[in-house]
Amino acid sequence: MEVNGQLVLTVLMGLFLIAVAAWLARVENWRSYTPLAGAGAVGSTEQYVSEEKPSGVIRWLTTVDHKDIGILYGAYGLIAFVVGGLMVVVMRLELADPASTLISNTFYNSLLTSHGITMLFLFGTPIIAAFSNYFIPLLIGADDMAFPRINAIAFWLLPPAALLIWAGFFPIPDVIPAQTAWTMYTPLSAGVGSGNQMNAGVDLMLLGLHLSGVSATMGAINFIATIFTERNEKVSWANLDIFSWTILTQSGLILFAFPLLGSAILMLLLDRNFDTMFFAVEGGAILWQHLFWFFGHPEVYILVLPPMGLVSLILPRFAGRRLFGFKFVVYSTLAIGVLSFGVWAHHMFATGMDPRLRASFMAVSMAIAIPSAVKTFNWITTMWNGKIRLTTPMLFCIGFVSNFIIGGVTGVFLASIPVDLVLHDTYYVVGHFHYIVMGAIAFAGFAGLYYWFPIYTGRMYQTTLGKWHFWLSMVGTNLTFFVMVLLGYGGMPRRYATYLPEFATLHQIATVGALILFVAQVIFVWNFVQSWLEGPKVEDGDPWDLADDDLVTSEWHWFDRKLQTAIADGGEEEAELATDGGERIDDSQSTSDVSSDGGDPVAETDATSDE
Amino acid sequence: MASKTFDKDTMLDLTVNMVPLVIILFFVVGFSVFNPFGFESLASGLQYGILIGSFVLLAALTYLSGKAIAGSEKTDTVYLPGQATVPGATPLHGEHEDAAAEIEESADAEAVESAEGTA
Repeated sequence: MEVNGQLVLTVLMGLFLIAVAAWLARVENWRSYTPLAGAGAVGSTEQYVSEEKPSGVIRWLTTVDHKDIGILYGAYGLIAFVVGGLMVVVMRLELADPASTLISNTFYNSLLTSHGITMLFLFGTPIIAAFSNYFIPLLIGADDMAFPRINAIAFWLLPPAALLIWAGFFPIPDVIPAQTAWTMYTPLSAGVGSGNQMNAGVDLMLLGLHLSGVSATMGAINFIATIFTERNEKVSWANLDIFSWTILTQSGLILFAFPLLGSAILMLLLDRNFDTMFFAVEGGAILWQHLFWFFGHPEVYILVLPPMGLVSLILPRFAGRRLFGFKFVVYSTLAIGVLSFGVWAHHMFATGMDPRLRASFMAVSMAIAIPSAVKTFNWITTMWNGKIRLTTPMLFCIGFVSNFIIGGVTGVFLASIPVDLVLHDTYYVVGHFHYIVMGAIAFAGFAGLYYWFPIYTGRMYQTTLGKWHFWLSMVGTNLTFFVMVLLGYGGMPRRYATYLPEFATLHQIATVGALILFVAQVIFVWNFVQSWLEGPKVEDGDPWDLADDDLVTSEWHWFDRKLQTAIADGGEEEAELATDGGERIDDSQSTSDVSSDGGDPVAETDATSDE
Repeated sequence: MASKTFDKDTMLDLTVNMVPLVIILFFVVGFSVFNPFGFESLASGLQYGILIGSFVLLAALTYLSGKAIAGSEKTDTVYLPGQATVPGATPLHGEHEDAAAEIEESADAEAVESAEGTA
């Protein structure tokens, strides 16, 4: 009976998918579709945004325009950020008290697992892809990505990946969330023993993770092809911007790292479902760790290199000068890319592997600290005696540098075997990597979101709220994660829902810090959504006054051109003006003639200044 | 040509990657001279393999990227990164006067002149 019910559901789902495909085929003339920029809205009655682009929901479901896909990635990443953030708020509230009071220990383990995977794979990678999809083609002067349809497919693999990863939280009978932590160490993740990890929730999570890896790999191939082959002829290797360099390096890392994760996940799934015993034999647990961390450590750099690129791009714009030692940053980025594959076993110093091997991984881990530190000095030197403008994106860049120094220095100590053996599996490690993932990576993401807000929304955010967002995030980050470093020194182990009463005070401070972070992100979401809908319209193609210091880059030039060629609402010359992608107007006209969008004119100081 | 590409400025830029290379080299020598765990072919092979492999790959990528970047500096007009497609962007001629002189004689001379004309 149960099998029959499942069969009926499967058939119904199949019919539903066929119906969706048929509907999409009917509503869209696929042969006429070519990507062009334009605007459209959900529920619009018009059939097309422009001649070649549908409007409404169809636009977003069928788009292969790199800018639209960038926005989809951004929306997806921010939704995942909200989910992962709410998960950790529940965890921190539970940790305000030493005993298990708010949630069960097993549910805590589920939240811990999903928080990690959500933030790394569903927020971190996609939010970077949001920036790279939208801006890399603009920065390198390409028409679009090299493979626009693969670009769309790569994105559309992500929503099912998220559903699979979170499936255990849905009210599905007999399916519970994975409790393996994001590292998925065997034998726990293989379902061995008397625990509950043989549950299908773990299988679904593994499949979702695999799907997100396929998506990332497709994206990486696309970026490598785009940067190598689609650059404008003027954009030589010497002229390539720093964000493109970091995305190119990141894509190389993804190409070598993610397929290995996919293979390891498939082996684990086979172990779980077909008794293949890859990880069940003696040494199987260590085999998993080696396979996982050969992917896992490059993954750290997959996540941090593009944010470094964002900061290297944005920070000089508000320091009024060029990036100091640009080529140092480029070469050190490439060095990090290579060396990141020679450090994986520093996550395994406590496993009892051969001390000679351990020593080598320590040596390479020490070496990789240099290129990271070089960048820090470059950012500081860029600001030194510069014309600093403390705008919101600049504040987030400075916050990035500050937090990255603390996260980096605590990491160098962990690279040292004797120190690692003392601090391994304590909150020190949690504090260290959260300084990087929240204090640095997320901060750079916010810097990018604010810096380019005028480009992708056409509006300006509320500057006061932006600064509240920064300062609360900065205070919250340091309060939460510095306390974790202290907890680690005290010997507090990671991953526990309960703890000894002696750790209560520090845990409560960390919870207060997390709640401050929560308030900051509420402000961010409010500011982001409200400003997108109602913020003052930007009428200047250079809202940050970059031209004053000769620091305008290609994407702002594109934005300026877009503003000047936009169709004016109710304007007399409406029929004469082309949308973006139309006829180019000459430079003398474009510098003097700013088109109106029909909205209320906003004083430049209010609309565009963020000082 | 190779020595022209890797001139003093380029070598100075590449020093940033020399430092980790030297650190790895330091440990290779250090582990050879001071080796408290003895020599065992598999473990020691892996020990040096990790170090030497990382060294070789980093050196190779540094060479190739240096060649690509410095080479294009010699042959193409150099702008501030991210500005190449911005009309009116000022080429960074001050840093590459010699290269610019060569370019003027090359097939790209016309493109350079038009860029200068808009500056």
